[in-house]
Amino acid sequence: MADTQWPRFMVFERDQPDHPWKHNGSVHAPDLEMALLNARDVFSRRPEQAGMFVVPMAAILTQTREQLAENPLVVKKLQEGQASSASSSLPYMIFAKTFEQGPCEYVAEISAESPEAALAVAIATTAVKNPLWWWAFAASTVLASDAADAESMFAPARKKSYKSSNEYPVVTMMRQIRAKGKLED
Amino acid sequence: MASPIADYLLALADDELILGHRASEWCGHAPILEEDIAFANLALDEIGHARLWLELAAKEMGEDPAKYPDQQVYFRAPDDFRNSQLVELPNGDWAFTMLRQYMFDAFETQRLDALSAVNHSGMAEVAASIRNEELYHLRHTQAWVRRLALGTEESAARSQAALNALWPYAQQLAQPLPGESQDVPSSSDIFDAWRNMVVPFIEERVLIIPEVSGFIGDRTQHSDHLAPMIADMQEVARVEPEAIW
Repeated sequence: MADTQWPRFMVFERDQPDHPWKHNGSVHAPDLEMALLNARDVFSRRPEQAGMFVVPMAAILTQTREQLAENPLVVKKLQEGQASSASSSLPYMIFAKTFEQGPCEYVAEISAESPEAALAVAIATTAVKNPLWWWAFAASTVLASDAADAESMFAPARKKSYKSSNEYPVVTMMRQIRAKGKLED
Repeated sequence: MASPIADYLLALADDELILGHRASEWCGHAPILEEDIAFANLALDEIGHARLWLELAAKEMGEDPAKYPDQQVYFRAPDDFRNSQLVELPNGDWAFTMLRQYMFDAFETQRLDALSAVNHSGMAEVAASIRNEELYHLRHTQAWVRRLALGTEESAARSQAALNALWPYAQQLAQPLPGESQDVPSSSDIFDAWRNMVVPFIEERVLIIPEVSGFIGDRTQHSDHLAPMIADMQEVARVEPEAIW
């Protein structure tokens, strides 16, 4: 059967306005705007959330530790990038996952001619060394939540109490009611 | 003790409750997983709003706000519900569900704007707190209505069919709610503001607003669809009135 899924978008968020962006998960959506709405509904029911953005997975350049070790592509691009003029450069966002249990976190925003060139600069100049993987994507491919929308997107979740599923007696109660034969399945 | 304000609050609560229950019927059936989660969240929001209005009604009536909402939701006869017929109609297809939710969310944002300014501190507070959530619902449903109306030939046809079916029911929102007095915003004014908001939005999406003739009736009258829905909603509570959720 053909894949009928919509494209995937990566979801990033931060819990305070001055905290770093972190990757949270992914959603399917027909376009960027719906991706942001889906991301809000899937990932922001719990406090705290201060901002969110989505980016098409197809727009992300990934380089894993293994890929970089096997293929010095990025280093080559860096040399090319340095050689050409900087007039056509764009801002790229660089993220890295540094350890297994940690998030893929914001590293830097770097102006470059291509995601490869931006990543090469990040590898050469930032404090992050040899992470599990790098991500680079053009800032223009991102759709972020608006500061003006924060009230309707994130504030309602703060008022909702969170109960773990085992705190609800519903399942046990339904079993008892069924056992008494009062309800049909 | 019954009061006009309590009657009014009950009607507000019933619109939220019945629409929230209809929305909850999509849980596990929505077109994609993400939307299933989103729409179930929205259903919970609406039911939560009903609870806030019912707690306020309890205070007006000198009832226990911890018990009154459940009593009203689980042990009231269908004839005693005061929701509009728009919200009780079965869900139909996704275009129908999204357009109905859009139309009602738009009406609610207008109503809540007006209610946030009433001279009744409890009502104004609840209205202001619900409004934030409704603004987000509206954004979500607008996004869907736009895409379905301008999408494929089939989605456009389904959107138009939904509009033809829903528009006559929406006219009922112009009628005064039970207990509506000079102290609360006039439903007819809210309806006019709503029309000015939704008609351009709908027409821009190349749907045609249908002609309306006839009169749906007031909120003491319901379609045949309400009673079975209430029976379903109340089934477990009526079997086990002492159940703890």
